[in-house]
Amino acid sequence: MSSSTVSVSAATPTQHPFQRKIEDVKPSKTDINFVIMDYLVSEGYPRAAEKFAKEANIQLPLEEESISSRVEIRQALHAGDIDTAITKINDLNPQILDTDPALHFALLRLQLIELIRTCTSSASADITPALSFASSQLAPRAATNPDFLRDLELTMTLLIFLPATAPLQKELADLLDPSLRRNVASKVNEAILTSMGARGEARMRSLVRLRHWAELKARVAGKDIPPVLPLGLQDADERSVDSNGNNGEVADVMVH
Amino acid sequence: MYNRRSSYAAVASGSTANTQSHPAPTRSGAFSHLLNSANATPHNLSHNRMSRSIDADGHHSSIPASWSRGGAIPSYSSAGGYWQGLGGSMQDIPPFFVPSYLRGSKHAEKLQEQHKAKLAAQRDYKSTHSSNAGSLSTSSSSVNLHKTAPSHRGLTHEVVERAPVFVDEPAPWPTRWNEGDKFAQLDIEDNGRQAKFSGTQKTHDEAAAVRADFPMPRQCGIYYYEATVISKGKDGRMIGVGFSGPKVALSRIPGWEPDSYAYHGDDGQVFSNTTSGKQYGPKFSTLDVIGCGINFRTNTAFFTKNGHMLGTAFRDLKPNMPYYPTVGMKKPGETLRANFGQEPFAFDIDKMVQDEKAAIQAEIARTRSTHKITANETEFIHLLIGQYLAHDGYVETARAFEEETREEARALANGDDSGLPQGEMVEDLDALNRQKIRTAILEGDIDKALKHTNAYYPSVLRDNENIYFKLRCRKFIEMIRQCNEMTAQFHPVPTPPSKRSTVSTTNKRNSTATDEYDFEMELDEQLGVHNPPPSWDNKDEDEELDDEDDMEENQMKLQQMTQDTIAYGMELRAEFANDPRREVKRALEDTFALIAYENVRESALAPLLETAGRTPVAEELNSAILVSLGKSSSAALERLVQQTEALIAELAEDGGPGAFVNVRRDFLQ
Repeated sequence: MSSSTVSVSAATPTQHPFQRKIEDVKPSKTDINFVIMDYLVSEGYPRAAEKFAKEANIQLPLEEESISSRVEIRQALHAGDIDTAITKINDLNPQILDTDPALHFALLRLQLIELIRTCTSSASADITPALSFASSQLAPRAATNPDFLRDLELTMTLLIFLPATAPLQKELADLLDPSLRRNVASKVNEAILTSMGARGEARMRSLVRLRHWAELKARVAGKDIPPVLPLGLQDADERSVDSNGNNGEVADVMVH
Repeated sequence: MYNRRSSYAAVASGSTANTQSHPAPTRSGAFSHLLNSANATPHNLSHNRMSRSIDADGHHSSIPASWSRGGAIPSYSSAGGYWQGLGGSMQDIPPFFVPSYLRGSKHAEKLQEQHKAKLAAQRDYKSTHSSNAGSLSTSSSSVNLHKTAPSHRGLTHEVVERAPVFVDEPAPWPTRWNEGDKFAQLDIEDNGRQAKFSGTQKTHDEAAAVRADFPMPRQCGIYYYEATVISKGKDGRMIGVGFSGPKVALSRIPGWEPDSYAYHGDDGQVFSNTTSGKQYGPKFSTLDVIGCGINFRTNTAFFTKNGHMLGTAFRDLKPNMPYYPTVGMKKPGETLRANFGQEPFAFDIDKMVQDEKAAIQAEIARTRSTHKITANETEFIHLLIGQYLAHDGYVETARAFEEETREEARALANGDDSGLPQGEMVEDLDALNRQKIRTAILEGDIDKALKHTNAYYPSVLRDNENIYFKLRCRKFIEMIRQCNEMTAQFHPVPTPPSKRSTVSTTNKRNSTATDEYDFEMELDEQLGVHNPPPSWDNKDEDEELDDEDDMEENQMKLQQMTQDTIAYGMELRAEFANDPRREVKRALEDTFALIAYENVRESALAPLLETAGRTPVAEELNSAILVSLGKSSSAALERLVQQTEALIAELAEDGGPGAFVNVRRDFLQ
């Protein structure tokens, strides 16, 4: 979308007729607080959830006994301690990984990446543990699924390029990026929630996607809406931009 | 859905026993849907009645209203949700129904709201205001005062009495055939549900058509209705079911004119703007149920016969043309009966709409949003949440969330937090003040909130008189609450709770007693801005509760409290008595009405006492303070919800994909 490069300030809102329609919507605080609470609980922020229950005068969902295990699993995954995470997942419910081969494979591959990371931390390090883990744990699974195989092959090429002397190509750099751990952790979290019969995805995520989808659709349909729909995240944005030392482009619009 | 299915099957199978009295036994299943014997009328009975009506009246041109209505009513109540608490007050406003496939849709919600507002307006107009209690009461007794005949809740559904009086946004759906939009020789019977050709055919081309009272609303996404052929008349089955624009001539069978689309029974062909049809489906005749639907997202139309989908009949419908359900016929005695959703449908339209919804939901779930600043969705969400918590003064939560997300980020960065944003939370004094004020209101301590607000933000209450007014009213409500709770404790029920004789009092005592313990006020904060009541001391109450010796003292206290409450109420009235605003008057009336009850909790005004009522006041004040500080009154997350709702509404207006999304119901709850 062309709107992605436009920068707007919330201080001078465009007086587009659509703006009126936006302002006519009166979202209920109860709904919003519910969405926040839902996110805190399902994505595992127990302390914030507890405080929020008190401050906003709402009920802490009781059925959430798994929250501390889920937080521990997430922490382990984020820290790259995949072994611990797998053990904890199986303690919680061994069915989860048994019934979801893709998730299990993603975890094992993450473990392989961590092994490779350790093995190649210096030029003289021994890569045997990584090789044997790959052949014993991942190769048999990869044989059953072409996607797994491709992922495994790509991961193994890391061995050749590490330790990196030049910037890695994007595909490989992505494997080392922390966001991979985060993605796997969030998939694990969803799987645990689903296994308990809860709705897997936090409503907040669906909502953010709905907002994005709706704007895309409205633009495609040629609806009369302003070129950008700022959210007013300005304050927060500026702070994070400043501290990151990034460029000063502060357009708090969702881009496509 | 279960009801419909089971009853449909049951009646269909049962009817085979009666073959000789029935001209078309295989179709009786379809006809049963019209009878609606769902699970109320025993099958035999309804069937006999049907046979009798056919016997008695050669071509059974009209269904006696008594049984068609009698059969329909129980199924409404059993279907649940057709009539949502609207019993008993249906005299001038037609009853409201939601077709099964539209339940839970945004458009249905809007129409329902509008209907409720209409009923409330009517009640307002008619109510005598003798005690003001009636204004909040929905009990049938107060509403039915003006009625001549006694009626019972749930049994007064005269299916369609007359066209709705106000045509306003949101677009209403069809409810009946329109007496004012029909060919002269067509009779409309049975509350507008049935259309019958009563004249004699003169020329070959002449026919009689009728349109429904409203066009099919595009905002529904998919609109669908069914028509049952009650009789094909003496010598023909020249019947067309479809839809047409508002200007199409009604002297021709639908489908022959421009903007007119129909499926014809005599040859099974579909017609649009032509007298030569296109082969489409089977012929249809007496007792067949023909369904007609438009998918406004794809601008296509389809028909069903006896519950079976016949496929797409028309494409490229005009996106701006209002299409009215239309039926036409040309032989004397031909009779059609419509179901605009008052009864369960023969075709499983619910599933079709459900599938459409699911497909759109899946598409949404596949969408991945990105944000200019934050590379991924999670970071974006964390920004939204952090900003919301800070904005709305959830200070503790904001701090805890900040800590937890930082821990997360640290773990992700392998313990190296050099590259992490130094998101040191700036201790926002305003946020703390706003938090205090909010907490005070949520605890019911309005005086404290007023005091803090006046101390920190002196201009806010001055500039926002309506909020000031609401706070003052709320204080009165809180006073009543307390008196009420004390009363409940001073009149303990002599019999143990297990005895059922005084159930309600017992329950009340139990519930209020626990409330009371939660309810704590700090006396030192009672430097009330207005009239600090001297004995407004709740702190000691807990200790005194079980102490019988203090009974007398408590009685005194209660008396004092009641006096204070009344004094405060008079002060409130004096202050706002001359306020011309209608909503202020109304709020005052409702609030003062509380005093009339010794035990409000069991009155119609009980909802006013709910502690949940504190939240909106607290939020409104918070927003006003933010505005006074030059900050945006709504957080980014709220704006996101607002934008989403507005965008979805835009996408629903023409029946696009937004019609299948109910933001609140599908995403916020």
